[in-house]
Amino acid sequence: MAPKKKEEPKPAPAPKPPEPEPPKEPEFNPAEVKDAFQLFDRTPTNEMKITYAQCGDLIRALGQNPTNAEVMHVLGKPKAEEMQVKMLDFEQFLPIHQHICKAKDRGTFEDFVEGLRVFDKEGNGTVMGAELRHVLATLGEKMKEDEVEQLMAGQEDANGCINYEAFVKHIMAG
Amino acid sequence: RGCSRSTRVLFHEYSIKAAILIQRWYRRYVAHLEMRRRYTWNIFQSIEYAGEQDQLQLSSFFSFMLDNFTHMNGNGPGNKYLISHLLDSVVDPLTEEVRQLKYEQIVVPESYCGPRLSFPLSVTDTNALLSAFKEEQTLHGKYVLQLLYETKKFLKQMPNIIYLSTSYAKEITICGDLHGRLDDLLLIFYKNGLPSAENPYIFNGDFVDRGKKSTEIIIILFAFLLLYPDHMHLNRGNHEDHIMNLRYGFTREVMQKYKTHGREMLQLLQDVFSLLPLATVIDNKVLIVHGGISDKIDLDFLSTVERHKMLLKYVLFHMVIICLIQVVDILWSDPKNQSGCSPNSFRGGGCYFGPDVTQALLQKHGLCLLIRSHECKQEGYELCHNGQVITIFSASNYYEEGSNRGAYVKLGPELVPRFFQYQVSRSTRKLTLHQRVCVAEGSALRALKEKLYAHRSDLMAAFQQYDIDNTGRISTSEWAQVVESVLRLDLPWRTLRPRLARLGADGNVEYESCFEDISPGEPIPPVTPNLAETLYRYRTDLEIIFNIIDKDHSGQISIEEFRQTWKLFSSHLGVAVNDQTIDDMARSIDFNKDGSIDFNEFLEAFRVVHKLVIKEQQQG
Repeated sequence: MAPKKKEEPKPAPAPKPPEPEPPKEPEFNPAEVKDAFQLFDRTPTNEMKITYAQCGDLIRALGQNPTNAEVMHVLGKPKAEEMQVKMLDFEQFLPIHQHICKAKDRGTFEDFVEGLRVFDKEGNGTVMGAELRHVLATLGEKMKEDEVEQLMAGQEDANGCINYEAFVKHIMAG
Repeated sequence: RGCSRSTRVLFHEYSIKAAILIQRWYRRYVAHLEMRRRYTWNIFQSIEYAGEQDQLQLSSFFSFMLDNFTHMNGNGPGNKYLISHLLDSVVDPLTEEVRQLKYEQIVVPESYCGPRLSFPLSVTDTNALLSAFKEEQTLHGKYVLQLLYETKKFLKQMPNIIYLSTSYAKEITICGDLHGRLDDLLLIFYKNGLPSAENPYIFNGDFVDRGKKSTEIIIILFAFLLLYPDHMHLNRGNHEDHIMNLRYGFTREVMQKYKTHGREMLQLLQDVFSLLPLATVIDNKVLIVHGGISDKIDLDFLSTVERHKMLLKYVLFHMVIICLIQVVDILWSDPKNQSGCSPNSFRGGGCYFGPDVTQALLQKHGLCLLIRSHECKQEGYELCHNGQVITIFSASNYYEEGSNRGAYVKLGPELVPRFFQYQVSRSTRKLTLHQRVCVAEGSALRALKEKLYAHRSDLMAAFQQYDIDNTGRISTSEWAQVVESVLRLDLPWRTLRPRLARLGADGNVEYESCFEDISPGEPIPPVTPNLAETLYRYRTDLEIIFNIIDKDHSGQISIEEFRQTWKLFSSHLGVAVNDQTIDDMARSIDFNKDGSIDFNEFLEAFRVVHKLVIKEQQQG
């Protein structure tokens, strides 16, 4: 992996495109959370329970974006085999969700763009799709190949480049 | 261009952080997409079931008419005519032989290049049909009539319940609802092979309605039925019924495709549908019915009923005997998770049956498995009641492009079910998941907005009860409560709120905003908003009633008939509309003053449009 020429100071931010709507700040209304909880409840008898494995997804569906590590931490570091088996009911889920909501470092549009800028070799606002795929599948909290595929579908131009500000807006709007 | 080690390490660190950041955001995006997909599904399902609940309205309307027609407005003779017009079944003046000869004598023009069937059918005929339908050709009316006639003759000798066996290590393939989706049927045949002595099939009802190729489907299914009578089996579904067909599109499809012979075909179809067997049993162990069961089902008794008399008409007119209830249960019931057996109010007939009911019935008849269809499932199939009930549904993309897969199940002599899924994708391959979700969601939300519009007065009245100071705003909770109670759709309203209504600066819901985006197009006669809404809400019921009155399906009814029907309907609903308004409306619709109304145009006028499209009124 070719490193950048030298440690660059943060490049002056390009004229900012209109910032996409920030993720809905949940005023923490349990009723709203309950609606979403019910949508994820897959128990055959509608017991209002979800598995540990679904917990992260539900928190994210409600507008937060914790890392997997944060989710596992707040669930009490369960073992891998427990994830599909152990269940949470609504009362147990609420404090977990609340905890994640309070986490300070949520990341803004700019942070996200910054993250992608790391891979912008030429400093021209684009990243190579192939490189991004590689990174996402091999570094950090690795994504599976088909997940990467879904993410990148339709984002690359004819040269295999991605304009990452547009990309970020696309992800944040979704 | 030095690459010092520390720079590389530093970059690596940045990369990891960056990767984690992107991954977080992506996971949030995916979770949100999943949530949208799920509530879209809920919307479609709730609306579908609520629509079938309207069927209950219609049936109670008919019983109301039957009970009360002598008391209607004193117009004795006029009303009697209307009722008997609705009630009487068309008596077939032709004998069987005459009918058969008549069909043989229909001349097919030289220019017709579609399949020419010859009875008894052979594999050449079925192959020709499949090729023709793949090329979007239409089978000539003569052959359709002959096919239906032969099918009717064949089905007459069939029992109500068919007993099969998986001898010679043959696997039987069972397919669920097709609902006029020819692509799904062709895909099944492609994946699983055509029906034959080595490859037996059971199709579990609901072949028609909703999709656009119902005619092609039944032609293919009936052709194979005649060709392989021991290896091809069809169960009746709740949509194999002429009143359902009037409402859900099959009647219209037949009349559009077959202008000359359509009416006669529909007549024959009514007989054919009523003669379809009710159930199939494999190896005395697996019961296959379209809807489900109830605590009243007794298979031995069911074997003895005269199934061809089980037209929905009889049920609507309350000429109900015990055996008829059982038939309705078989065609309409759904499984539920709680114990017991309760009336299925959403469908308008049949029950919700619990695992205890399943267990009891299976035990009573020495069975081990119930296979049914009737409900759309996202994966095409679903197990419930501890694996004792399988739901199999074969129409993929049922609600919308990408909404669900279709599936079929195969059973061999060991009776272990193997499931096969598929999804017809003309364009889904080109769409990303995100695009598919957006398309489906857009469609669901439009349908939901139409519902909101149709109940506007009731909703506004309820909203205003909470809005004491007349600010035009109420809290999200209050809004959700009102919408849920008026529309009676069990949906995640709070989650949906951002897609349906605006928030004011104070964070409360501006409730009138949920009617934005929808306005009625220019109605042909000026009417009060209340009437427009009522008409919109009941347009499907009105359509059915009009279709029944308009026996020759010409699209024209007399003004007098229109007036009378509307009066009956609105008095049943308790909607106060005065006679003068109806008369004015009736007269103004009759453009050419010839005493008859094209009611399709009339209904069209009240169709809700999403954009303000002002239709230029062409005067014929």
